[in-house]
Amino acid sequence: MKTLVVGLGNPILGDDGVGWRIAEEIQHSGSLPPGVDVVCLAVGGIGLMEALEGYEKAIIIDAIVTHRDPIGTTSSFRLDQAADPSFSHLTSAHDTSLPNAIQVGSDLGIRLPDQITIVAIESQKVYDFSEELSTPVAAAIPEAVRLIMEILRENR
Amino acid sequence: MQRISIDPITRLEGHGKIEIFLDDEGNFANSYFQIPELRGFERFCVGRQVEEVPILTNRICGVCPEAHHMAGAKAVDAVYHVDPPRTAKMLRELLYSAFYCTDHTTHFYALAGPDFIMGPTAPVAERNILGVIHKVGLEIGGKVIQMRKYGHSVVEMIGGRKVHPCTSIPGGLTKGITTEQRDEIEKMGRWAIEFAQFTLQAFNDIVLGNKDYLDLILGDIYTHRTYYIGMVDENNKVNFYDGKVSVVGPDGVRLGKYAPNEYPDWIAEHVEPWTYLKFPYLKKVGWKGFVDGKDSGVYMATPLSRLNAADGMATPLAQAEYEKFYSTLGGKPVHQRLAIHWARLIELLYAAERWVELVTDPEITSDNFRTIPTEKPTEGVGIVEAPRGTLTHHYWTDERGVTTRVNLIVGTTNNYAPIQMSTKKAAQSLIKKGGVISEGLLNMVEMAFRAYDPCFGCATHSLPGQMPLEITIRDAKGNTVDILKQNC
Repeated sequence: MKTLVVGLGNPILGDDGVGWRIAEEIQHSGSLPPGVDVVCLAVGGIGLMEALEGYEKAIIIDAIVTHRDPIGTTSSFRLDQAADPSFSHLTSAHDTSLPNAIQVGSDLGIRLPDQITIVAIESQKVYDFSEELSTPVAAAIPEAVRLIMEILRENR
Repeated sequence: MQRISIDPITRLEGHGKIEIFLDDEGNFANSYFQIPELRGFERFCVGRQVEEVPILTNRICGVCPEAHHMAGAKAVDAVYHVDPPRTAKMLRELLYSAFYCTDHTTHFYALAGPDFIMGPTAPVAERNILGVIHKVGLEIGGKVIQMRKYGHSVVEMIGGRKVHPCTSIPGGLTKGITTEQRDEIEKMGRWAIEFAQFTLQAFNDIVLGNKDYLDLILGDIYTHRTYYIGMVDENNKVNFYDGKVSVVGPDGVRLGKYAPNEYPDWIAEHVEPWTYLKFPYLKKVGWKGFVDGKDSGVYMATPLSRLNAADGMATPLAQAEYEKFYSTLGGKPVHQRLAIHWARLIELLYAAERWVELVTDPEITSDNFRTIPTEKPTEGVGIVEAPRGTLTHHYWTDERGVTTRVNLIVGTTNNYAPIQMSTKKAAQSLIKKGGVISEGLLNMVEMAFRAYDPCFGCATHSLPGQMPLEITIRDAKGNTVDILKQNC
C-alpha cells in the first residue's frame, strides 16, 4: 500500500504554511509506516493530481479559513465527501479543480488514489508575508500530526 | 442601482472579482476589476542574501515559479556585475522553453479550450478540461498530460526540482547536463514540436473554421487599441529569456526599446482609489485614464503583445504561423484580445522549436556553466517574458550582497489597466436593459479577462488558493437574487 502525505500551501505566507510545517514534522517523526512518502507542494488542480500518480491513498494537509471554527481547529474528511470539493488550494485558477483533474487522470488511465483525506487547519494570518505561524495555528501542529499518524496506521 | 459580482473566491478570501453596476433601469453603469492586496512581499525580501531571492520569489506563484527564478537569476547576475557563460544562458533558456510548452499547453486545453471547444455559453458542468477531452478524444488528453510530463522532466534535469527550480546562482548554474540527458531532452523536444503543430491545427479546425468564433474574435466587444510591449532579440524577434523590451504603439510604430536597467525611464504607476494594486503605464506617453489610443500610456504585455512588439519569430515553423496570423487578422498590430489565444499557440510552437535548437547546440553539455563573480554587489535588474507578460525583478544590496530594497513588476500587474478596460467593454456591450443576464452571458464577460490569464498569485506576490468563479447577482437593494458557480 503506497500512501502520499502532501503538505499544501505557501510557506512564506504566515499560517498558509501550516500544511508544510505539519508534513515536515511527520517526515522527521522517525515513526513513518513503510510505504509512506511525504512531500510539500504549492500546486492545485492538474499539478496536484500529477503528484498523486502511483499512490493508493493520499492525505492532503492544508490551511483553511471558514470563520466557523476557532483558529487552530483541526478537522479531517474525505475529499469525495466534502460539501464543496473545490475549496482551499485544491483548485488551480489556471487549470481546474482537483476532483476534475482526478476525473481527467482516471479517464486517461492514470493510477490515482482511491481515497483522499483532507486534514484542514482553521487559519488566521494568511494575508501577510511571514515564515512564522500564528500562535494558535502553531499550537495545532501536535494534534494534526497525531491525527495523521492515526490515519496512516488505520490505512495499513 | 443593481450590482452583479463575478467573484473568483479563494480560501484566502483575498480574491480577484469583477463588480458590475447597473443603473435603476437595468442598463450598464460601470464595472471594476479588483485584485486584493497581500502585504509586504518586497519588504519580506529585504535583509536577505541576494542569491536567496530567486529561490524565495519562486514561492510567489505555484504556476510560473520558473519565470520568477529566471528573472531573479538575471537580476542577481546584474547585482554581481557578472555575465554567465554561453552554456549557462542556453541551459536556463532551455529550461524556460520547456516550461513555456507546459504552461501554454495547459492554458489552451484547460482554460481557453472550454470556451471554444465546448462553446462560450455551454453549461458550466461541461465547460472545463474534462468536457474538452471527452469532446476531442482521450488520446489528445493523454498528449496534454504527456506534454506536461516532458516539461516537468526538463525543468527537473536542469533546475534540480520539478516545479520550483533552484540551480541558478550568480554567474550561471550549479550544474550542467550529461550527454545522456541531452539526448533525452532532444527526443522530448522533437515530440513537443509535433504536439504544438497538432495543437495549432486543432485551433485552426475548431476555432478559425467556425464563423461564429471568428466573428467573436474579430468583433468590437473584445478589441482595444493600445501600446504593446515584449522582449526581442538583436534581430527584433520574440525572445522569452533575453534581449530588450520593445514598445510599439497602436499604429504599429515602434516607440523604442529598453534594456532591463532602463525600465524606470519607461514604466510609471498610476493609483486609483478603488483598488490597492497600481496601474503601470508608459511614462513617455503619460496616463490619460482607461482609454485607447496613441495618446494613452496604457499598454498590454501578453503573447499577443509580444508578437505585435516584434518583427517576427526566430524559428522557421513559428515564423510561418506568425505570417499566417497577421494575414488572417488583417495585418499588424492585431488589437483583438481573444487573438491572445492564437498568439499563445504560436509561442508554444516557437518554444518547442527553440527547445530543440538549444539542446542540439554543441556547447550545451559543456562544463563551463558558471562564471565566478569577482565584483562587489550593488544593484541589478532582470527581465524575462513570463507566459502572462513581461516580468521585471529589481534588487538593491549593500556591499555584502544583503538586499536593501526589492521591486517587482509582474505580468498581470502590467495588464491591470487593459484587463479593467476589456472587462468593462465586454460588460457594457453584452448587458442591456431588459436582457436576461444569463450564466453564458456572464461567461462572455469573463472571457474578456480570461484571455489575459491573470495570475492573482503573481499580482499580489503570493500563492492564493484558487477557486472556481462564483457569480453573484444582486438586486437594487443589494439582496442576492442568484448565485452561479463556475468551475475552471
